[in-house]
Amino acid sequence: MLIQLNQKQTKLQNELQEYFESIITPELKKELSQPEHFEGGGPEFKKAMRTMGSDGWIGLSWKKEFGGKELSPIEQYIFVETVMRTGFPFPFLTTESVGPMIAEHGSAWAKEEIATKILKGEIIFGIGYSEPNSGTDLASLQTKAVKQGDGYLINGQKMWTSLANFSDYIWLATRTDFEAKNHKGISMFIVPTDDPGFSMSPINTLGDVRTNATFYDNIHVPESHLVGELNQGWSLITSQLNLERLALVNHGPVEELYKDVLITAQSTKINNDQCLSDLSWVKHNFAQVHTGIEALKLICWKQTWIMESDQLNMAEASVAKVYGSEFFIEAYRLMMEIMGELSILKNDSELKILNARLERMYRTASILTFGGGTNEVQRDIIAMAGLLMPRTR
Amino acid sequence: MDFSELSHQTEIRDSLDKILSEHCSQERLKEYDSDFKHDESLLSLLSSNGFLGLGLNEKYGGSGEDLYDLGILFERLGYHAAPLSLSGCLADVAQTIQKFSKVESCNKILGSIIAGEIYTSAILEPSNQDPENPITEAKIENNQVVITGTKYLSEIASIAKSILISASSIEGVLLVLVDTDQVKLTELTSTANTPLFKVELDSVKVGVESIIHEKGRGLEALKYLIQLNMVMRSYIALGVTEKMTSLIAGYTSEREQFGRVIGTFQAVSHRAADCFIELECLRLVNQQASINLNTNLDCENEALISKIWAGNACHKISYSAQHLHGGMGVDKDYVLWRYCLLAKECELINGSASQNIDRLGINITTNQ
Repeated sequence: MLIQLNQKQTKLQNELQEYFESIITPELKKELSQPEHFEGGGPEFKKAMRTMGSDGWIGLSWKKEFGGKELSPIEQYIFVETVMRTGFPFPFLTTESVGPMIAEHGSAWAKEEIATKILKGEIIFGIGYSEPNSGTDLASLQTKAVKQGDGYLINGQKMWTSLANFSDYIWLATRTDFEAKNHKGISMFIVPTDDPGFSMSPINTLGDVRTNATFYDNIHVPESHLVGELNQGWSLITSQLNLERLALVNHGPVEELYKDVLITAQSTKINNDQCLSDLSWVKHNFAQVHTGIEALKLICWKQTWIMESDQLNMAEASVAKVYGSEFFIEAYRLMMEIMGELSILKNDSELKILNARLERMYRTASILTFGGGTNEVQRDIIAMAGLLMPRTR
Repeated sequence: MDFSELSHQTEIRDSLDKILSEHCSQERLKEYDSDFKHDESLLSLLSSNGFLGLGLNEKYGGSGEDLYDLGILFERLGYHAAPLSLSGCLADVAQTIQKFSKVESCNKILGSIIAGEIYTSAILEPSNQDPENPITEAKIENNQVVITGTKYLSEIASIAKSILISASSIEGVLLVLVDTDQVKLTELTSTANTPLFKVELDSVKVGVESIIHEKGRGLEALKYLIQLNMVMRSYIALGVTEKMTSLIAGYTSEREQFGRVIGTFQAVSHRAADCFIELECLRLVNQQASINLNTNLDCENEALISKIWAGNACHKISYSAQHLHGGMGVDKDYVLWRYCLLAKECELINGSASQNIDRLGINITTNQ
């Protein structure tokens, strides 16, 4: 048993840190500070993605045929961790979860045209799963794809299609067999957002993050846009979600915030001879956050290590999702308490180091407990797969 | 990065489970509910199978200096609620001596521990929240150490050959091995019926050669002992809470109400799932702490984190287990109740979660 990064991995971490310092230019920072670009999509963002792609950093663990470096999932995790620490809105759902699915199950066209371009930082995906009447019960989805000529005709509506406003494609779940049981009639398609049948309307959220309702009106896609076998899409969805769940709870950003809040508290004078970090309740809050981060880090490392041997365990993936998402909410609260009323200020010129991050983070944190598969379903999975208990109903 | 157990570690786990499940049946455990809780025959079985040498170097007759191996032993003792209290002997005394004593004392003492002789420690003191600063005093006079003070919660001290005592002196902290017949012992009755003793020393005199460490390294040795004890206690907690969680899963998968198995109610299965999550976190922080202590003698923060998770997991899982079992959980004819008592003991001895959060917070904010 060895629970630490090896020398090479620590070196990679340092190398990446330096690299991102050069990528995150003042122009990019400025762009990302505007609410409409919180999630990326602006010209500076696109430029940075392409630079990372051409420098070979996206897809460290991908196969060489796609332009990857065939390093282990640990190196891949380190990459995502380091980029997320910088606050850059890296589109990890595209690179970490949809991308690997297309690289493995896509048609010759998809492998050549889509997978390689994801690695070059040229393509971004939105995910089309939820619908107005299909959320947690995703397998009840009704968006349909019907065989027509040499391809499929797609009609329907999706909800919460984040990034659709600047995505090139949607990773779309459709019903292709209306007779079969729910899970058995689903197929996955790559749908271009520049098709005239594609439209959207924005949904503005609590966290100032834009998401979208997306509409699919008689969109015709060729056979090559089908990913995996017809009617076998459910297993792609669940595999994608397992990868997504790990990426969602990466311990990098919360640890970075913790370090910054700690430095701030150690230098914030509350009177002539005391700093904020001298107060005992402040120390307790820090200790609680630290204790939680350590467990999160180990859970993520273990998950990543399991992926190396290709045996992603359902119960453990759900443990990571539930623990991580609920811990984030608790951690943001404990850290906001430390900064007190200062942490509700959106323009904290007094506290430059935090750059109003606490104020934003708590508003975006809540989506993780239900996004990527609601925690109730994750707990069902843990009870069944981890404790061998009967299926709940 | 490698989270897998080595093959010899899986073997240790399997053979321990075989021995312990035979020796810790309900009937046998019942015998120790009111009796002195120490199963001598089990101890000699563990000794003859080499399990008392886990974590000790081969040159002393042990099976190798890996604290994770020793962690497995404590975890399985906890899982089976074994009537043996060995953290004072195998963790505190054996490991501290291995790391800090001269080869001759290692040869002598570690060999006899592996053979089944009992040693123990007496570190904690009534109303002293900081065991790194013992109230017990030691004076060095004419090549003799004279110790005065009161210790408590010393495990199975009445059957120990010697007791490792921590004391403050003008030369700093000392760890001294004192023969048991030189101290006054009073048995304390405790929640899990673990044999714990008050140890009183009234100007006890021993030779300076009974100080187990080199001059000036007493505090370092004591810190190591305390941290290791936290981690090994957390391994006992891991076994105890793992057993309770499996009891929850088993019972709620069979018990029927309203015409269905109660485990099919989300309110029930989700509380069980939360126990599983807690357990997984505890397992991981324990692994990290024990591995780090292998190569670094001071891992205070990792040890504190381990014990914080242990304290919280013991509390939460114990009450979830009792609640989900209904009346069965408190029925002394069923297995759960002993684990609930052990859980409280693991939670509180050598630093509660709140106390350790306090300590960790001080370390973090002062960049230690």
